[in-house]
Amino acid sequence: MLALLFILFAGMAIGCALAVVAQRNPLYSAISLIGVFVSLACLYVMLAAPFIAAVQVIVYAGAIMVLVVFVIMLLNVEQEERRRNRLKFLVPAAVVLAAVLIAEVAFMLQSVANPTPAVSNIGLTGSIGAQLFTRYLLPFEITSILLLMAIVGAMTLARRGGLLSSEARLVPGAQQLPLSMVDPRATPDDLTLVETDSSEEAARLLGVDPRNTERD
Amino acid sequence: MDTAIDIILKFVAITVAFVVVLLVVAYTVLAERRVLGFIQGRLGPNRVGYGGVLQPFADLLKFILKEDIVPDKSTRFIYFLAPVIATMAALMTMIVYPFGPEIRIPFTSISIPLVIAHFDVGLLYVLGITSIGVYGIMLAGWSSNNKYSLMGGLRSSAQMISYELALGLSLIGVIMLAGTLDLAQIVDQQSGWHGARWNIIYQPLGFVVYLIAAIAETNRVPFDLPEAETELVAGFHTEYSAMKFALFFLAEYINMFTVSMLATTLFWGGWNVPIIDLFLDRGSFLFGLISALGFLFKVCVFLFVYIWLRGTLPRFRFDQLMSFGWKILLPLALLNIFITASAIYFFL
Repeated sequence: MLALLFILFAGMAIGCALAVVAQRNPLYSAISLIGVFVSLACLYVMLAAPFIAAVQVIVYAGAIMVLVVFVIMLLNVEQEERRRNRLKFLVPAAVVLAAVLIAEVAFMLQSVANPTPAVSNIGLTGSIGAQLFTRYLLPFEITSILLLMAIVGAMTLARRGGLLSSEARLVPGAQQLPLSMVDPRATPDDLTLVETDSSEEAARLLGVDPRNTERD
Repeated sequence: MDTAIDIILKFVAITVAFVVVLLVVAYTVLAERRVLGFIQGRLGPNRVGYGGVLQPFADLLKFILKEDIVPDKSTRFIYFLAPVIATMAALMTMIVYPFGPEIRIPFTSISIPLVIAHFDVGLLYVLGITSIGVYGIMLAGWSSNNKYSLMGGLRSSAQMISYELALGLSLIGVIMLAGTLDLAQIVDQQSGWHGARWNIIYQPLGFVVYLIAAIAETNRVPFDLPEAETELVAGFHTEYSAMKFALFFLAEYINMFTVSMLATTLFWGGWNVPIIDLFLDRGSFLFGLISALGFLFKVCVFLFVYIWLRGTLPRFRFDQLMSFGWKILLPLALLNIFITASAIYFFL
């Protein structure tokens, strides 16, 4: 029974992983990647690590991939699909690297002839918590500081030069985007173009404080 | 052989749970229309069957018989996939909730637990599956090739990411008190003392934050920005018709039901009903039945609150929604964690 489930989820993971690489449409790749994460979570459950499985789904499938899909939805997906593959010359390198990886896995499998049974409580909530707050406390705290730095950095980069005036009530998700950006399949006629001589005038038309339009 | 019987029994249990949930959901829709009618000084649907009790089935028939329109320029595969993801994610959380205590079938000695699966990380499982559900809405908005749909999808994903944080953090107080993520154990710990051990008494702030975040997570009034009909026609499901629309509708109501069950389980004692353990034996059939009905009653109270809010409150503006989630709810949830941790450290 367990072997059957393993084959099912392992097959799903490999199939989805192949689809991530093979698809030309980035959104399909992203959806396949979500499939990989979910199948991996199922495999974790079968390895008696339910906490890791749940975190895998919540963090990767539920948060990070949502942001990835969010960004892809705003991009011009069809254009990307039509463009011809510029990175064809990298195919031999990919084949070589894949061969190395497979050889590595084969070596690992061969060298561990009699795998010892895994410690069964390694993936439970209690054991992970105990390890994180005793043995791995320093790495844990350093990682959280690293994440905090990343957040502060992202905030600084996002606000640099692009400060909005107090009158312009622009918030993420509610901005007025040009139609061509929102919908790649819309005809360009839907846009009314306004020509301006300077960025100050453009800023005035957009209702943005002109002092803040200069980048850097 | 035993595993085969086990699997069949689980399938039966899942089927029963799904049927019960779908029935409750169908009648929630009817209740919503009747209660909204009452609030707005009109009658609501009351013609099909006595007082409208057959209305859900009439609606279902209508959904099935209506023409199913697929927009020409939609991305067909994803357009079909989106309602499936939304409904499946909504239904999948159903298996970890304890609907009642062990119940003994009359005249036999067989006891069956009224929970489908004991899961060590039941609470995290619920949060994980709920976070998958957002893809249904996002992909529906993208694949419809309609600007209103796309805006609805984008709004919904931004909203759900923001409020998921507050939702998750508001539950940490309960987890700290219980010391486990297993929903059945959390309910067990709240039994006894006739309701004085329910978590609502120890976690009032956590409950308020949870309730508000849960309403935002299910895209209900006053947080129904993804389908704000005054700005976005119908939001992410503008292009959906017939049964595919019904699936989104179903997913929304099942999600309401799910978050109500989670509120009941974590804060209001789950299936524990005060007083009755004075008269009835724990493990008897009647005890189990009354407990399960008590659970259903508490859930229905929450569903009523949802409908009540819809009849009462206007909609938020999007920037208000975002600043409320990040600047008020999130710090309140963190404050709740801090208070709970201090209380545990000093008094327990």
